[in-house]
Amino acid sequence: MTFAILGLVLRAAVVVTGAALLTFVLLWNAPGDPAMAIAQARYNFVVPTEVLEQVRAESGLDAGFWAAFKDWIGPLLVGDFGRSSVTGREVWPDLVTAIGYTVPLALMGLAIGLAIALPLAALAARNPGSVLDRVCVALASVGVAIPQYWLGLLLILLFAVHLGWLPAMGARSTANLVLPALTLGLGVAASLTRIIRSGILEARNQSFLPAIRRRGVSPSSIERDHVAPHAAIPVVTVLGLELAFLLEGVVVVEVIFGRPGLGGFLVTAIGARDFPKVQAVVLLTALLFVIINLLIDIFYQVLDPRIGEHDA
Amino acid sequence: MRSVFALSLVLVALAVFGPMLAPHDPTAINIPNRLSSPSEQWPLGTDALGRDILSRLLYGARWSLGLAFLISVIGLSIGTLVGLAAAQGGKLADWALMRTTDTFLAFPELVAAVVIAGLLGAGTGSLIFALGITSWMRYARVARGVGLSLKNRGFVIQAKLAGLSPLAIARSHYVPALVPSLIVVWTGMFARAILGISALGFLGFGVQPPMPEWGTMLLDARIHMRSTPLQMIWPGLSVAACVLAINLCGDALRDSLVDRQS
Repeated sequence: MTFAILGLVLRAAVVVTGAALLTFVLLWNAPGDPAMAIAQARYNFVVPTEVLEQVRAESGLDAGFWAAFKDWIGPLLVGDFGRSSVTGREVWPDLVTAIGYTVPLALMGLAIGLAIALPLAALAARNPGSVLDRVCVALASVGVAIPQYWLGLLLILLFAVHLGWLPAMGARSTANLVLPALTLGLGVAASLTRIIRSGILEARNQSFLPAIRRRGVSPSSIERDHVAPHAAIPVVTVLGLELAFLLEGVVVVEVIFGRPGLGGFLVTAIGARDFPKVQAVVLLTALLFVIINLLIDIFYQVLDPRIGEHDA
Repeated sequence: MRSVFALSLVLVALAVFGPMLAPHDPTAINIPNRLSSPSEQWPLGTDALGRDILSRLLYGARWSLGLAFLISVIGLSIGTLVGLAAAQGGKLADWALMRTTDTFLAFPELVAAVVIAGLLGAGTGSLIFALGITSWMRYARVARGVGLSLKNRGFVIQAKLAGLSPLAIARSHYVPALVPSLIVVWTGMFARAILGISALGFLGFGVQPPMPEWGTMLLDARIHMRSTPLQMIWPGLSVAACVLAINLCGDALRDSLVDRQS
């Protein structure tokens, strides 16, 4: 098993390297002259050629692809994300501030999602095919189809504009967190409910359960000791996918609610063609994503050693 | 199940024939009548430039469903090719292709699409590229799985020994095995593409005005949320209805195609 885990780590390292290269290729090939964009953002007038050349030289944009890649990846390995090409400020501190807004939002969203999905799924799975089950599944299907940005706008319309209970924009207080977290959480809940439900149903279908039942083990202890752990496996898998969903959701949700988190950071940086900032966010996202998936894979191996055997 | 397919047919019909049903030109600006409430002349009211919202919704169906179809077919083609190449090629090709797939999967699809579309510059072309290039990976995994499972099966080897051309083997053995699984993935990705198109439109990176696209319409409507909240309801409702219909179709297809197989 140690060998299997080592293989997983190695694979993750390959993927991260690939992701870094892909990010760089993308930005290197982005159309338009980044030097011109930087110069215009800085000086805001028709830029003379010599200024343009100067900007090009100091941003390392005149070097070739591999030289520029090395210039970027070298400091990155020791945690230096470079400086914003527009403001000249270091990227890392600004990034940390943005993350500070995003992490509570994502965690709250996940917590709300689980708090809705777990009881709903358990309720639905209690009696599959019943009216209650169908209602839960239908709710989840509708929830999955509703775009996050629209849900966010509807929540603003109801709770901020119409009722005036909660603030819509900004990130000044905890109250500002409620609506965005609810937007994310409802989306998470919708996508989790069906998966948890089928996880529970499948776990109830295990062939040895009737034997245990006949031996007189109480239903509650069967649920606790045999159904719940089995149902947890698909849920853990899905948490990896949920992370992607959360990261995607955060981008639009933060833009809608005017939160200065990673999503807003990214969209602003793209608009300003601030490449170091875009690179930093994209790479960080990929890194986070790969690490979480690696942890899930390892967790899997520990939970169910059969899994690694026939998978390539 | 039949009702689900009927609903989807209605939506497709709306996308195809919608422009004929539209009462007005979706881009005709009519400032004196801006933000008017629903009336006989403008069934769903008008937007901030006085354009008829119903007509824009009907034309928008073409953008959303048409582009989503195109994007999902691009993803399907790339993914199937990559997956089959990985399954048929040697160990090295398999490793390289699957790690490439993993690398693309390392970015959350929508985040990657936002970055690509944003950097390429807003427009329909970059929208298609951004969503297409970020949506082939699931097909690749499924196609590879099917390819690997078929590769060493007795009937495929026998067909090869009997001298059947690769094309004939592909037609009689691979296509029937691939189609059900890929169609199920495809419906899911089709729905995701609709969500992606409108999300990019909403962020300002998608289909550009004055084209009536649902996400862009929502972006416009958002500003006038206080005065004309209904304006914001329609585009979102349209997206949700399409995604729901397609997802339900996908569920029905999965139940009838894939489960029967296994």
